[in-house]
Amino acid sequence: MPSCIVADHLSKSYGSLFAVDDIRLSVKTGQVFGFLGPNGAGKSTAIKLFTTLIRPSKGSLTVLGIDALKNPLLIRHKIGVVLQQPSYEPTLSVEKSLDKYAMMWNVPKPERKKRREALLRDFDLVEIRNKKNEDLSIGQRRRVQVAREFMHDMDLLFLDEPTAGLDTGARRKLLDYLKNKVKTGLTIFYTTHILSEAEYLCDEIAIIMKGKILTVDSPDALKSKFGKAKTIKIRISKERSDISTLLRDVSECIVDFSNNNNNNNNDNDSNDGNNDNNNNNNDLISIVIHSEQSELILSRVLKILHDNAIEIQDISAVPTSLEDIFLKIMSDDASGN
Amino acid sequence: MHPVIRLVNRNLTISLHPGFLIWQVIFPLIYIFIAGFAYASLIPQIPFAGKSLDYPAFLASGMIGFNIMNSTLISGIILWNDRRNGMFQQILVGPFTKNHYIISNVCTIGIIGLVSAVLIALVGYPVFFESVEFSLLTIPLIIFGSVVGAILFGSLASIISLQLRSSEGFNVIINTVFLFFAFVSSTFYPADNVPEPLRTAFYLNPLTYLVDIIRAGIFGTFTEFVLLEMLILVCIAVILFTIALKLFTKLDF
Repeated sequence: MPSCIVADHLSKSYGSLFAVDDIRLSVKTGQVFGFLGPNGAGKSTAIKLFTTLIRPSKGSLTVLGIDALKNPLLIRHKIGVVLQQPSYEPTLSVEKSLDKYAMMWNVPKPERKKRREALLRDFDLVEIRNKKNEDLSIGQRRRVQVAREFMHDMDLLFLDEPTAGLDTGARRKLLDYLKNKVKTGLTIFYTTHILSEAEYLCDEIAIIMKGKILTVDSPDALKSKFGKAKTIKIRISKERSDISTLLRDVSECIVDFSNNNNNNNNDNDSNDGNNDNNNNNNDLISIVIHSEQSELILSRVLKILHDNAIEIQDISAVPTSLEDIFLKIMSDDASGN
Repeated sequence: MHPVIRLVNRNLTISLHPGFLIWQVIFPLIYIFIAGFAYASLIPQIPFAGKSLDYPAFLASGMIGFNIMNSTLISGIILWNDRRNGMFQQILVGPFTKNHYIISNVCTIGIIGLVSAVLIALVGYPVFFESVEFSLLTIPLIIFGSVVGAILFGSLASIISLQLRSSEGFNVIINTVFLFFAFVSSTFYPADNVPEPLRTAFYLNPLTYLVDIIRAGIFGTFTEFVLLEMLILVCIAVILFTIALKLFTKLDF
């Protein structure tokens, strides 16, 4: 698969501060590439470099096979960009702002109308089509901003935290819309703070911190590379409050009496249905094993439970989430590992 | 369609709201028909380039230049709003360059300035029709004044807009500067009869040159001095436009 972004030893400095520091990156065509990092990691600066809004201090950059230093305008003709900051024409209606944006991109009038109507439907904007942008809520304005970018053709779309301000339903709808767009050949460069989004959407993920790329891989590969520690949860009856004493010699195993540690899953959506289940399980105690040798510890715990005639109500293995991986990489980097 | 034309189309769409149009027409009308006729009792005739003009005719012709200057406020406002509402960055990650953006702003204010001049010339015509002397130079001079004046004051508004971070600061500075330009110029009174230090100040003000050029076109009083004023106006416009362009190019994101 050819690469649509190739960055080689790319840096951007402001004085002595390197916002992007010697990064090497290759983004394959036709995929969703996730760019993750904490606040101030250099994500937005990297997007500004890739979209040719700013020039690099060092290194080379090719976007869609075009040299970003020699021909930035040609690149900008072929890309779409939804920036992190809101951008809108306050006095224009939703309908008119889509139309004018397409006019700016030289989209012929009949095509504009067709696309506008489709996007108003796809982004649930029909009811507010005549409302002025200045009168919209933050979420509605964000939807208009993202929808507007699909008014023109492009080969590569940069989305800088596009779901900021969107509710859960609108967020999921947007992610599904993007997934469908990728099937038509579009490449998406996606930055987000919400790791469940990256896990759901991205084919490949780069993690950036302090301007440096720490790792690049698929979500599954990252999990197998960094997610060796597994979490196993055993639930027993609350009547056995002596369980802490029984397990005191077992390392990497904790007893949770509060029983509110839902599956360690970071996707808020997926927790929505678990509340009833939690209420029914309020009289249970959780034994949580989190270790790279969780199977070994599990066998020790099971033996103790068996020896003390403690009945297991429920046992489950919690899959390693991208957030676990992200936090591990961050802490490894901070500790210099 | 060329990128500059597309941006001009966009600029006109976002700028020409009813409030602005009313302001552009009503405000000069108040000056011409209320102040003009009210002051006429105090200032019966004004000597101008060997002619004697009624005060309303003198004021109406001055209001054309004044309105061109006022309409260029739009340049600073577009730039200011685009930066505040994120459209500036959005446009520059699209199929446009910084040069496209600034040239489109200049074209936008050029068009608004020209339309504004025509509008005030039409509205003021009943007031100065007795003194009008159309010549081959009338239309070219009005077009020259409108375009060069728009570039000059538009660049100035852009420079002020690029230097200030708050909208309140922008409004205060731009209104103060333009108020100074309006009253220390030959818009409302002839420069010849004012006391000396003020007279010098009049000729440090580009609006005086713009108004003199427009009046020369309308009343057929083109002289060598007007030609000199045209040259000075072009020079100031080029300098301010170059400064605006430099500041704009240096703008970081």
